[in-house]
Amino acid sequence: MQLKPKPPRIGSAKMRRGLMAASCALLGAAGARAQDTHAAPADSGILEDWSVDSALAYYHEDGRIQAIEPIVNVSKLFADGETLSLNATFDSLSGSSPNGALTSHTAQTFSSPSGKAAHRYSTAPGQLPVDPNYEDDRIAVGANWSVPITRVTQVSVGGKVSGEDDFYSVTLDASIAHDFNEKNTTLSLGLYDEFDSLRPIGGAPAAGSDYALAEKTGDKTKDGVGALLGLTQVMTRNWLSEINVSVDRFKGYLNDPYKFTSIIDGAGSTLGYEYENRPDQRTRKSAYWDNRIAWSTRLSTAASLRYMSDNWGVRSDTAQAHLHWSLSDNRYVEPSIRWYRQTAAAFYTPFILSTSEVPMAYQSSDSRLGPFHALTFGFKYAQKLPGFGGRAESEFSVRAEYYQQILDERTPTPAGLQGLDLYPDLKAILIQVGWRF
Amino acid sequence: MRADGPDSTITVESRGEHLLAVRFTAMASPCEVLVPRMSRETALAIGAAAAEEAWRIEKKYSRFRNDSVTAWIHGHRDATIELDEETASLMAFASRCFDLSDGLFDITSGVLRRAWTFDGSDRIPDAAAIDRLLPLVGFDKLQWHPPHLMLPAGMELDFGGIGKEYAVDRAYSLLADIEKIPFLVNFGGDLRANRPPLHGPWQVAIERPDTHCEATLLLDLEHGALATSGDSRRYLLKGGIRYGHILHPGTGWPVPDSPRSVTVAASSCTEAGLLSTVALLHGSGARAFLEEQDVRYWLL
Repeated sequence: MQLKPKPPRIGSAKMRRGLMAASCALLGAAGARAQDTHAAPADSGILEDWSVDSALAYYHEDGRIQAIEPIVNVSKLFADGETLSLNATFDSLSGSSPNGALTSHTAQTFSSPSGKAAHRYSTAPGQLPVDPNYEDDRIAVGANWSVPITRVTQVSVGGKVSGEDDFYSVTLDASIAHDFNEKNTTLSLGLYDEFDSLRPIGGAPAAGSDYALAEKTGDKTKDGVGALLGLTQVMTRNWLSEINVSVDRFKGYLNDPYKFTSIIDGAGSTLGYEYENRPDQRTRKSAYWDNRIAWSTRLSTAASLRYMSDNWGVRSDTAQAHLHWSLSDNRYVEPSIRWYRQTAAAFYTPFILSTSEVPMAYQSSDSRLGPFHALTFGFKYAQKLPGFGGRAESEFSVRAEYYQQILDERTPTPAGLQGLDLYPDLKAILIQVGWRF
Repeated sequence: MRADGPDSTITVESRGEHLLAVRFTAMASPCEVLVPRMSRETALAIGAAAAEEAWRIEKKYSRFRNDSVTAWIHGHRDATIELDEETASLMAFASRCFDLSDGLFDITSGVLRRAWTFDGSDRIPDAAAIDRLLPLVGFDKLQWHPPHLMLPAGMELDFGGIGKEYAVDRAYSLLADIEKIPFLVNFGGDLRANRPPLHGPWQVAIERPDTHCEATLLLDLEHGALATSGDSRRYLLKGGIRYGHILHPGTGWPVPDSPRSVTVAASSCTEAGLLSTVALLHGSGARAFLEEQDVRYWLL
């Protein structure tokens, strides 16, 4: 009557972390109650129970916006398996952001959302109209607490609050995960609820209204709920597979208050602009499949596919892969590649034809709702450094990504606009430096 | 140079040209504290502090003494008792390790010892004897609501699985607090050092359990802990199969295809000892288990 030892789970270095926390609790606690007056806790310094992950990222879109983003995430694992984590992100964005208008043969002048005369801007003929005064600072803080309620079930709750000049958001989430089949299978269910409040600079424009009239209304809100169901399965000793399906539904003011669409005549001349008008409800469904395989102690890969579709007509596919290669005990690299393709929302249109018979109920020229495909190449290098304050080690990393987005616009170009680059590609780079300890 | 302790003697002798070793016996193992050359009186005082902590823990948790906390717990089965803070901490630790190891590490598995005698002979118990004991094994059968414990009739608690490593860590923390010198505490092969002496790292030799293999494993240790689990001396041999002494709490039998010895390096001896014991219980999966815990280890 001898049991075969079960295959070990991949990624269960959680045992070691849990064990380190439990040992700290034992030795620290016992030290405080020692019978000998000289006793003191050995390595139970405050830092050791906490782990910190921090990063600073710089993002730059060619000719458009750039952003600096420091992030810090601190988590503490308690002796009984509870984890508390806190995170804070600060984004500072500036630069030029497309305002939704179409490139034209003539110069165009726009007022800025703030309405200040000093912020009026012009676009030269043949250039994509962008608002050069785009500036926003955002701060977000979040917390998450997870606790094992039985040996095989874990519950987690979290919240996040973020704020910027014209937008506030609060999100609450909760999830439960249950292991069975000797911990080879995990089923999880998560729910979240988000509430957003918008106070656009200059007021939210009436949807679909004439740009020149500057009909502004007051503050707006939107809210959403989402649910996710996931299944993670250890397929073999070296292969972990995960599937999840999710759905979310947002309602309220879903427009971008700063974007408008050009109205052009048959010859392509711009006659005016109309603020965009999106439906006040959006439901999205997505399915995701991820596989991680450890080929050896030094090499592992992860590859995933994601499919999303929503009731605005947008469908997208994402394929992503990365490779983790340990060059030595102390260094590793992670090259990665991601391919993304999306179809346009039903009401997406790069421009409105004044000659069209039927007025559009909804319209938006925001290229983020348009048809495009994108390719991202990434590379990360990480190096382990000696620890401090009682820790074994820390990790320093640097990551770079190059993103290129190509619009797949099929709308026939009016004769008068031939020769103009109406749908320029977007190129962006990201460089991120991180320190984890 | 010697001084008499309550149960044993402490001696100081040279170890190479740079070190002194303060030696004593505790927990049925040869123990020592290594320090750089200094006055013998000082070395003796340092070693005595470590020895007294080892003897205190041994006396408190020994299953052979009738004045130990373990004996007291066994004398109050089927009743709810309140444990002292140190014992409650050890129970909390054992409980957490039971969860983290999916039940492989279980301090109630000591009763299985009644069926097994690991003396190198070929007296393997019959399955019925083990089946009668299995219902008495299982940490989840205790009622543990810190600091209150109810131990059901017939069950036993055995702190031996973590006692020696815990004693190393406790002695280490006593010395680390009062001494600013480099030192190494070694209780029968489970050891921990705070930093290397001036002349270079501590040189640790790990015995190979197989008598055919003479060469020992030599490691340079700067700081941290090492613990070794294995069956070098306590085993049974029958039909060419070697049965190691660490029993799987679910089956009552030793795990087949275990490595003969597992040494793990970690920041504390308790952690290293837990990982090496649980690794052994993974049998042929010991290496994979240790790989995914991302620790330094040596399998023999």
